Amino acid sequence: MIAAGLPQRFKVAFDPNSQIFSLAGTIRPRSIDEIAESIHALREAIDAVRGVLYIDVKRLIQMNNTAFQAFIRVALDACRERSDLRLIIITSSVVGWTTRMFRHLSAIEPQISVEVYDSMFYPGQSFVEDTSFIPILRTQTKMTWRHERDILPRHGMRPGIAMADICCGIGDFAVLVQKEFEPGRIVALDHSRASLAYARKVASDFGVTGIEYTFGDASEMLIEDNQFDFVTCRHSLQIFNQPELLLKELFRICKPGGRVYITNEKNSHCLGEPRANSIQWTYTEVAKLFSHFEMDVELGPKSRRYLAEAGFDDILVESFMVTNLDGDPQDFADMIAAWENVYAGEMAVKRGDPPEYIERFRQGFRDHIFAALHPKGYAGWPIWAASGRKPV
Amino acid sequence: MGASVIETTEAAFEPLLQFDMEMETFLSDWHHCDHVSSYLARMISHNRTDPVRHSNFFSSALNELLEVSFRGGTTDGKMGLAIYRQGETERVQLSFPCPVGQARFYREAVSKTRDSDAQARYLDAISNDLAPSRESVLLDLAVNYDARLRLDESAAPAITLIVDLPLEGMVS
Repeated sequence: MIAAGLPQRFKVAFDPNSQIFSLAGTIRPRSIDEIAESIHALREAIDAVRGVLYIDVKRLIQMNNTAFQAFIRVALDACRERSDLRLIIITSSVVGWTTRMFRHLSAIEPQISVEVYDSMFYPGQSFVEDTSFIPILRTQTKMTWRHERDILPRHGMRPGIAMADICCGIGDFAVLVQKEFEPGRIVALDHSRASLAYARKVASDFGVTGIEYTFGDASEMLIEDNQFDFVTCRHSLQIFNQPELLLKELFRICKPGGRVYITNEKNSHCLGEPRANSIQWTYTEVAKLFSHFEMDVELGPKSRRYLAEAGFDDILVESFMVTNLDGDPQDFADMIAAWENVYAGEMAVKRGDPPEYIERFRQGFRDHIFAALHPKGYAGWPIWAASGRKPV
Repeated sequence: MGASVIETTEAAFEPLLQFDMEMETFLSDWHHCDHVSSYLARMISHNRTDPVRHSNFFSSALNELLEVSFRGGTTDGKMGLAIYRQGETERVQLSFPCPVGQARFYREAVSKTRDSDAQARYLDAISNDLAPSRESVLLDLAVNYDARLRLDESAAPAITLIVDLPLEGMVS
């Protein structure tokens, strides 16, 4: 439901199956009367549950004291009336004031607890946010940039635009874009504090200013609607277990008429010669391994469908192959070695794969490196770049 | 609070912006509080370490101050809002005309934000009150935003709330 008097800015919802009452958006009423319907909805939700009611304020962007006290009044009164009731308030680590305001409730009322939602918001987070991954991310960006520098203008990149790079990682793509295309504004968002710290340092070391790095959850961003001419999200839909949620947010922050640009892989199509069969087997297994952790590294060719289902039009899709012939073959080899360390050394181990499987799995990566460094060899990593326009 | 103390302190603060509005216009629409706080927060946060989150945090605090002036101000004269910066702290100076006799109320409310029992008072207010008083809003700023508040009465009948918000360290 949309709260009366504050059109489109504030939503409340109650899911009786999971016993979650959620508040989202900006709520700054002048008086309690303006939010009477929403207050009533909370009372009804409390009446409808047994045991625990989760009050989800992760997406609560702003709430003034008038609304805060009105809602907590209902919660406190309910706890005083019902000894069986427990309220768990879920705040976000991204929205600083919510945790600081709501934390007091557990001190006032023992039946209320406050939990900060932060880590593990998608299944593969612990792998891809590992700081040991940083050097290889830099190498990957260096190799893909050779292609994307030419591709990006076809998808809407041009000087002076307002741009957001969502899931920016260590921020090197944003720096390259800033130097090459000089957009008017760049906001770069990621959920890894370590990556963002690295990004800010790199930007500072290279004297790059004007990139607004921000910590945030890409599926629930603080950024307001219709802000950007161009929104990029590279190699990230494929590691979210719910890519459609992420696309919905990318769509939301994009201006009508602006474009959202995504890149994704199809890992099973990584290739090499010689030793093609071993390489192909391993990368087919990579796709299965990621699938086990609810990530779809086969998403690349599905980009058109995802963009269409998210509401975009004028969809463009193209693919390019990063190869050992792009620049230094050792860069390609180093990237594969890093993949081997993470995929075989960590993820397969975590899945519980037997040593003999892991050894065969590793061999495909080694053969890919062999192909990359062989004087007559060829090694490739295919990527799909796609974009869609948000209808005007 | 003497004006000389304010001037001495201000010397170390860098001015970021000044915003003035006729009180009659300001009081004509409640949503001015939301719009002004959101817009100015974005402007002053652009060069903070995390501009999006700093802006969100700052807007939250500034909106509460503007709501105080909306609820307590009178239509004659102007409201003036100046924002300064020193290191990790933004200073908000919000001036607005208020009814005669109200200055004492603000003096006491601001004073309570610096008392050792400020948090206890705040918890008591949110535990028992149906709606926030202006006093509890100022306590909220002190408790939840680590704000330091002062009051300048040198331009009576207008008052000036001076609020230092060390949000950069909290956001980053």
